[in-house]
Amino acid sequence: MIDTLIPTPTDTAEPAVEERTPKMSARDVKVFYGAKEALKGVSIDIHDDRVTAFIGPSGCGKSTFLRCLNRMNDTIPSARVTGTIELDGEDINSAAMDVVQLRARVGMVFQKPNPFPKSIFENVAYGPRIHGLAENKSELEAIVEKSLKRAGLWDEVKDRLNESGTALSGGQQQRLCIARAIAVDPEVILMDEPCSALDPIATAKIEELIHELRGRYAIAIVTHNMQQAARVSQRTAFFHLGEMVEYGKTSDIFTNPREQRTQDYITGRYG
Amino acid sequence: MSSRAASRWTDGSMGKRVAKRYAAERRFRLFGLAAVGLSLAFLAFLLITMLMKGIGGLSLEFLSNSDATEAANAGVWGALKGSLLTILVTMAIAFPIGVLSALYLEEFAPRNRWTDLIEVSINNLAAVPSIIFGLLGLAVFLNFMHLPRSAPLVGGLTLALMTMPVIVIAGRNAIKSVPPSIRDAALGVGASKMQVVFHHVLPLALPGILTGTIIGMARALGETAPLLMIGMRAFIATPPRGITDPSSVLPVQIFLWSDEVDRAFVEKTSAAIIVLLIFMLLMNGLAIYLRNKFERRW
Repeated sequence: MIDTLIPTPTDTAEPAVEERTPKMSARDVKVFYGAKEALKGVSIDIHDDRVTAFIGPSGCGKSTFLRCLNRMNDTIPSARVTGTIELDGEDINSAAMDVVQLRARVGMVFQKPNPFPKSIFENVAYGPRIHGLAENKSELEAIVEKSLKRAGLWDEVKDRLNESGTALSGGQQQRLCIARAIAVDPEVILMDEPCSALDPIATAKIEELIHELRGRYAIAIVTHNMQQAARVSQRTAFFHLGEMVEYGKTSDIFTNPREQRTQDYITGRYG
Repeated sequence: MSSRAASRWTDGSMGKRVAKRYAAERRFRLFGLAAVGLSLAFLAFLLITMLMKGIGGLSLEFLSNSDATEAANAGVWGALKGSLLTILVTMAIAFPIGVLSALYLEEFAPRNRWTDLIEVSINNLAAVPSIIFGLLGLAVFLNFMHLPRSAPLVGGLTLALMTMPVIVIAGRNAIKSVPPSIRDAALGVGASKMQVVFHHVLPLALPGILTGTIIGMARALGETAPLLMIGMRAFIATPPRGITDPSSVLPVQIFLWSDEVDRAFVEKTSAAIIVLLIFMLLMNGLAIYLRNKFERRW
């Protein structure tokens, strides 16, 4: 019955929809910018103990899809989203779902590091503060310390928490943004090309961090770096021209893709 | 072949082109310097003549007396206090309303024909001659609302109408220049629209908004025409005790004194100009200080 919802795969060796209850599941998600259909019916499950990577050439809709998962597309007036996306079985686009709470549960890390022009401490403390997660100052300090430790930044900044977050290096800024996202204790973390503005060493640190965060959070990462997808993810979805062409185990996608288009992309014919 | 390509950079024609380029650069610098010099010369001329004519008129008495029929007893205190009260009223009305309008239009209002119309209207409003605002103030505040004539309250309200569009335009530009990534960042951790605006956008836009407010306020402080329309040109010998008392303002006082037949008022006029300029300088200084204090870099 579920199979009828999946548009492309004919081979059921690794279906996009698994038997197990997923953390988030998307069914036939379409996005229109005005009259243009940017995403043509995507169905994917995201599980909470895995890293799911979305790959594909520029403009293929992978970031658009990622932004549907915490309704960041709401901020674009011309964007219209159809289909259903569920978080723990709850429709995130329903009237009962509070978008502010959704974004606290489904955190996001952006392409360009975007710390607030405030102190390092304030950057991490902002989320917990607006959601009232800390009763007092010492609890808030504990949350900030824990988040910075998890983001692997604590040792580098513990003596200068009052310095501006924008004074850090690019890689440190991005880890600060990750710390800011995990400070509100989300269930899912979405990463939109988190390393595209970083040098290889900073990239390696972020990838290491993604490994450490796996298991604690469901992670979905958009990347146009195929090696990165291969390194950090367990599941990979390949997008092309607004369609999700193929979704499966990362190892299968890279070694034994079912679709010709996936094969062409990962071997570098286009993209 | 390669030797010919190399010689192109060293033969005489290249040297001539380079010399031409340098000459153009020197000419531009000269014209630029002349333009700056010309405007500075006018400023220096104004300051020097005012100081020469007016410095003798500046005394404690001049600063503490109000207008009088006798030049010897005439002082600027009434007009100074009137200006201060008027500008406070203008500030209290125009700043919050202007900033709220800018925030609403930029962050909350839908983009449609109506908001386009509003945008055009506001831009036009900023270019309306000040005398028209004076007539509007006369019609609305005096004839319709029956507020007290010649009072800083009405003067302030009229100038607020005139200043508001300037603040709205500057405010919208400042809000527009806050990078969208900051909004995304705040939304991404679950901030509501209001929290995004008041925790992040407004603080980052504030320096720009203050710059616009400085320009608007400086213009309002020196404004004469609209205040004449609402009766602030009356002869008033006692300083106002509140915003509803009849009062004069500095630029109107200067205008009135410059019209006097009595030669002794020439000195008074120049002295009043010096006081007005110092008043403006202090206000702008305060505003720039505030702006720099709030300025953040990212």
